[in-house]
Amino acid sequence: MHMRHISKSFGATQALDDVSLSIYPGEVHALIGENGAGKSTLIKVMTGIHQPDQGEILLDGRPLQIRNSAAAQDHGIAAIYQEPVIFPDLNVAENIFISHRDRGAIVRWGRMHKDAATILAKLDVKLDVRMPARGLTLAAQQAVEIAKAISLKVRVLVMDEPTSSLSAHEVAQLFKLISTLRNQGVAILFIGHRLEEVLEIADRVTILRDGKWISSALRSQVTTEQVIQDMVGRQIEDFFAKSQAERGDLLMSVRGLSKENVFSDINFDVYRGEVLCFAGLIGARRTDVGLALFGVEPADAGHITFAGKEVKIHSLEQALKLGIAYATEDRHRFGLAILMSVATNITLPTLRRYLTALGLVRQSDEYATAEEYRQRLSIHAPSVKVEVGRLSGGNQQKVMLSKWLNAGPKLLILDEPTRGIDVPTKAEVHHMINALAAQGLGIILISSDLPEVLAMSDRVLVMREGRQMGLFDRKAATQEKIMTAAMGQNRPAMEAQP
Amino acid sequence: MARSATSPAGGRNLLLGAWERLKSWEGLLLGVLVVIVIINSLQAPAYLSIRNQTNLFQLFIEKIIVALIMTFILINGEIDLSVASVMGLAASTLGRLYELGVPIEAAFLIGLAVGIACGLLNGFMIAYAGLPSLVVTLAGMIGYRGLAYILLEDRFIGNYPEWFSRLGQQPLIGPFPLALVIFFVLLVGAIIVLQYSAFGRYVYVIGNSREVARYSGVKVRRVKMALFIVSGLVAALAGLLYAARLGSVRGSVAEGFELDIITMVLMGGVNMYGGAGSLYGVLLSILIILNLRNGMSLINLTGHVQTGVIGVLLILSVLAPNLARNIQATLNRRRMRHLAGTLSEAQESP
Repeated sequence: MHMRHISKSFGATQALDDVSLSIYPGEVHALIGENGAGKSTLIKVMTGIHQPDQGEILLDGRPLQIRNSAAAQDHGIAAIYQEPVIFPDLNVAENIFISHRDRGAIVRWGRMHKDAATILAKLDVKLDVRMPARGLTLAAQQAVEIAKAISLKVRVLVMDEPTSSLSAHEVAQLFKLISTLRNQGVAILFIGHRLEEVLEIADRVTILRDGKWISSALRSQVTTEQVIQDMVGRQIEDFFAKSQAERGDLLMSVRGLSKENVFSDINFDVYRGEVLCFAGLIGARRTDVGLALFGVEPADAGHITFAGKEVKIHSLEQALKLGIAYATEDRHRFGLAILMSVATNITLPTLRRYLTALGLVRQSDEYATAEEYRQRLSIHAPSVKVEVGRLSGGNQQKVMLSKWLNAGPKLLILDEPTRGIDVPTKAEVHHMINALAAQGLGIILISSDLPEVLAMSDRVLVMREGRQMGLFDRKAATQEKIMTAAMGQNRPAMEAQP
Repeated sequence: MARSATSPAGGRNLLLGAWERLKSWEGLLLGVLVVIVIINSLQAPAYLSIRNQTNLFQLFIEKIIVALIMTFILINGEIDLSVASVMGLAASTLGRLYELGVPIEAAFLIGLAVGIACGLLNGFMIAYAGLPSLVVTLAGMIGYRGLAYILLEDRFIGNYPEWFSRLGQQPLIGPFPLALVIFFVLLVGAIIVLQYSAFGRYVYVIGNSREVARYSGVKVRRVKMALFIVSGLVAALAGLLYAARLGSVRGSVAEGFELDIITMVLMGGVNMYGGAGSLYGVLLSILIILNLRNGMSLINLTGHVQTGVIGVLLILSVLAPNLARNIQATLNRRRMRHLAGTLSEAQESP
């Protein structure tokens, strides 16, 4: 299968820009890139979910139009995602044959069970086909998914981060399965975040960055260092450089913060006037640490000292009282009441300040505050009385920041504050973060955007799968070091690089 | 060229104006109400008399009292299907206790307490056990009604002291009976709380998104708990007033009222999924339903036909905003196409 010069854009965002990729039978082809490099979009083009704006797809040398996922299936292209798509109340055999439409109107159970057992045997998987899928482990569920793909006579199998929720043992099982498939002549496109794993299984490696094709090579011809270089090596001159604020007193110190099955042993200090970045890939559990500090999902263990006092943060009220605010990455789910006005959203956490003795809201004061933020952060809204859902993403982001700034926090946790907003607004947000730090706020900036991390941070804490992988000073932090730590590659050779 | 550019713009302004007016649901309701009132008063001169208007309220007074609290609950993104059964249970409790020789005043208070207890139970299951209100209050609707039947079996309990029976009918202040006075007092209180207080603000925000409210430090559970307790109390009060008006009580009192109540609230423009709506809209919707029914009675339409008309009205009221949005979207698309056409024309012939 060849994909040639594929381009795809969504609105103003160029998700894929002239990307070419070839997948051969009996080969595992790894697709590597940072978050937002265009991997998912490429898969969606391959499986017919998106149509490319430009470029062509060839299968067996013949050009192909993949209009939808059913068409992809007819051509033998199937995808398996991070979370297996199984029906928990159906048994293994039913799950395997769920999308078959050519087996007649009446279910012949005996035959279905026999066929399912045959496929599983071919994969060397031992599972009772009559067992309901509910009780299966994730790895077994994935085996069922793979069996499903095989039953559909798959020729090209896309695996999108199949290992991200598996244990080491389960990963080994999955890799055995992949090898079996490879030996049977299936072409596999493998996407993964854990570089070691990806490089272990891959025969060929392609790297994407910012929607562009960077390199393709045989696994035997590349080194880990090269791969990391290719993933991150981009220009950062366009980005706003942080002016160094004077570092103030110690604001918060966190020791051994843990939450069972989520994150463990997180240690850091935040000073007033400092921006501490939490870097890492998706699934690094950085947001969970933020939520623990905000008291929404409290940690189970660890010590927190805030403004010189030992504290325990069990609830959001406590966090707010201490002066900790958290601006969520998911504006729509957790951040803004979309049907309510800009003013209502801004004053929501601090509504008590706007009440008369009788508990009524003093709307004029409320509007005055909102108006002040509208001007200060240049929020583009016809008035503070309009529904916040009618503003653009960037302006909604500013409303959310206003909401938390108005709470007068000492520590502000910003979770992906610039994701999905346009470049000028992004620069504005960066400028604001700077200004806030200069005023003496401690800021924790959770960001998956490496250039942003490098530009904005005083120090960088790197997490991977709930563990702290490193804490770098601004001077010591490089894209390579951060990415190496985030991908779980701790090689002395890398540490030695300047 | 200039002509083709201005004429769609002019049309757009007109359309936009109409759209803005329609979008204000209250405006539309007010228009409908005015039309109904004009037609009715042409039909029957006595229609606008205070006596007739008071009577009109009297017939639905218990439902419209409960509709006030139901507005809060629907805006909060929940529903309370148990209100009519709570009305019935409170009334039956009063009847049974009176039958057993308990003074009517004490029976009245115990009836209210029963309502609070029902609200507590509903509220606990919804706010703290996290069950969906649709299921909890459906169970409540069945369960509380069952209790009412257990209390009274199939007897009628009547012969209350005269002052109690009068509660429902006799004018108390000027021409207005107690229930009507209670309604207006509650209405003013509800408007103040919902539209102007912090609590009301939280009701709306939680209805928008429970999670957003929680992440902003709003005590979501307490608000929901409070709403269901008040709902139980108000429903019980309405049930007792109903008993007073009927002068007799039995297990089936107020059966099926919950749907009429929810209809009033939804027609008032309250969002089915919570987060939007206002008491002004609900008040207008109540007035429309009352006056429409009255008008239909004036032209001798039966109760069944009236109910059918109300049903059609409800569907229309849910349909209209969607329809308006679709029409708007189609117009937008056409306008864009037109604009694109004009642009390419302009490029072709510079």
